[in-house]
Amino acid sequence: MKVALRTYGGLAAVLDPRRPPQVLDTDALPEAAAAELARLLAAAGSMPEEDTDGRARDAMSYTITAEDGDRVTVLEQSDAAMTPAFAALLTWLRKHFAQR
Amino acid sequence: MSRTRPVNCIIPPYILEKLLDSEDREERQAALDTLLVTARLRGERAIRASFSGAAAPGVGRRTVFDCEEDEFLANAVLARTEDGPESADASVNRAFDALGLTRDFYKEVFERNSIDGRGMRLDGYVHFGFQVKNAFWDGRQMLFGDGDGKEFSDLTGSLDVIAHELTHGVTDHTSGFEYHNQSGALNESISDVFGSLVKQWSLKQSAEEADWLIGADVYTPGIGGDALRSMKNPGHAFNNPKFGKDPQPDRMSKFVHLPDTWQGDNGAVHYNSGIPNKAFFLTAVRIGGFAWEAAGSIWYESLKASGPEDDFQDFATTTFQKAGELFTAGSHEQSAVLSAWREVEVPVKGVPVGVARVRSFAVDGNGGAGRMDGSAALAKQVSALNDKVETLAKDVAALKGAR
Repeated sequence: MKVALRTYGGLAAVLDPRRPPQVLDTDALPEAAAAELARLLAAAGSMPEEDTDGRARDAMSYTITAEDGDRVTVLEQSDAAMTPAFAALLTWLRKHFAQR
Repeated sequence: MSRTRPVNCIIPPYILEKLLDSEDREERQAALDTLLVTARLRGERAIRASFSGAAAPGVGRRTVFDCEEDEFLANAVLARTEDGPESADASVNRAFDALGLTRDFYKEVFERNSIDGRGMRLDGYVHFGFQVKNAFWDGRQMLFGDGDGKEFSDLTGSLDVIAHELTHGVTDHTSGFEYHNQSGALNESISDVFGSLVKQWSLKQSAEEADWLIGADVYTPGIGGDALRSMKNPGHAFNNPKFGKDPQPDRMSKFVHLPDTWQGDNGAVHYNSGIPNKAFFLTAVRIGGFAWEAAGSIWYESLKASGPEDDFQDFATTTFQKAGELFTAGSHEQSAVLSAWREVEVPVKGVPVGVARVRSFAVDGNGGAGRMDGSAALAKQVSALNDKVETLAKDVAALKGAR
């Protein structure tokens, strides 16, 4: 499975076109890490999105795409309204990409 | 010559004090009357506040919380309060100090009591999330990421960024500029304008001395001399191999069109803010002195007089009108406003033809130098008209004599 994280907006929104998606392949992960990521993806996908009141300014938005064969899952949320499950997935991905 | 009487209720004290030196006796008396009334009202407010048992008005009390790299504010721990001791965490103290400077700026310069004008509490959350490369206003409080050390360092390190975010709250409580397309770019620009002014005010810098940069202290810590945005030179804040060149436009002919979506930056609000940013810079430099005084007052009063859907032309027209109310129609300050918007190619509505022709400034791309003084230009025109009248009078007299 390939998982991609794309970030939009924030104070530096003009950099968006220069921010390529960060991508990982679960085949390259240790088994435990791949299983943890799969669990986080499933949890984030099953939790209903939070409503946003539209008052946030300069908040960042995130698109997480998981491609598993023909099955594609796209999750989109923002700093302004984020579910705990999406936040846990996002933090896991951030920590993973920071190590590279 | 008839003069437009300033609207006294919105004139900042320093302008009233300047008017006390006016050669016009009526103007001096009006300024003195207004200062006396203002002093009396202040005194009454102070006395009311001292009554025991009366509800104490809010004063923008600060509280800083530590998110400990979590995204959920409910999990954050209290780190510093208004009356509490300093924290051992430098990020906490920087956020606390910047919240205070921004609050004090609005109070001392514009007599505004915190973000909502009614003493709203100022809550800041530091260490938000894991290496979050951002700081933002969520509609009620401010959140600071730690940065990744490459694109951004700790976001509490920039006073102009913090004041930028808090000013989003001020805008929400005044014009309410909708956060998309041109009104969204105005929303962003207002935050840059007052973000920069808070920094200039704290450093006591004149418009000429200021760097007019946003985020220079925290953006790409490994690259010196760049910033997130330049109000003086939109499009020239950064240029590096990783992020390319700053794409902000500095005039309408370079306006950026993007979809009104997350991915399209809500219609390019962080791009097109460069246009009104440049207009403010040009106005401030052409007026001269401290930018938060004349130029800042014009923009602040215009912000309060604007509506949620106003576009660039609406706001430009409002600033022109407010400059006329604050400093008299045809004043040097109003001329500076008009020429600034013209330079960034935003038309101003309702400009009298004579003013449009006479109040011109040479465009040098950098504000101050090359400016043509408006009063001198008008005096020259009046003198020329007088010469023509005199010539006509002589001709008439000569014709009468010939009869």
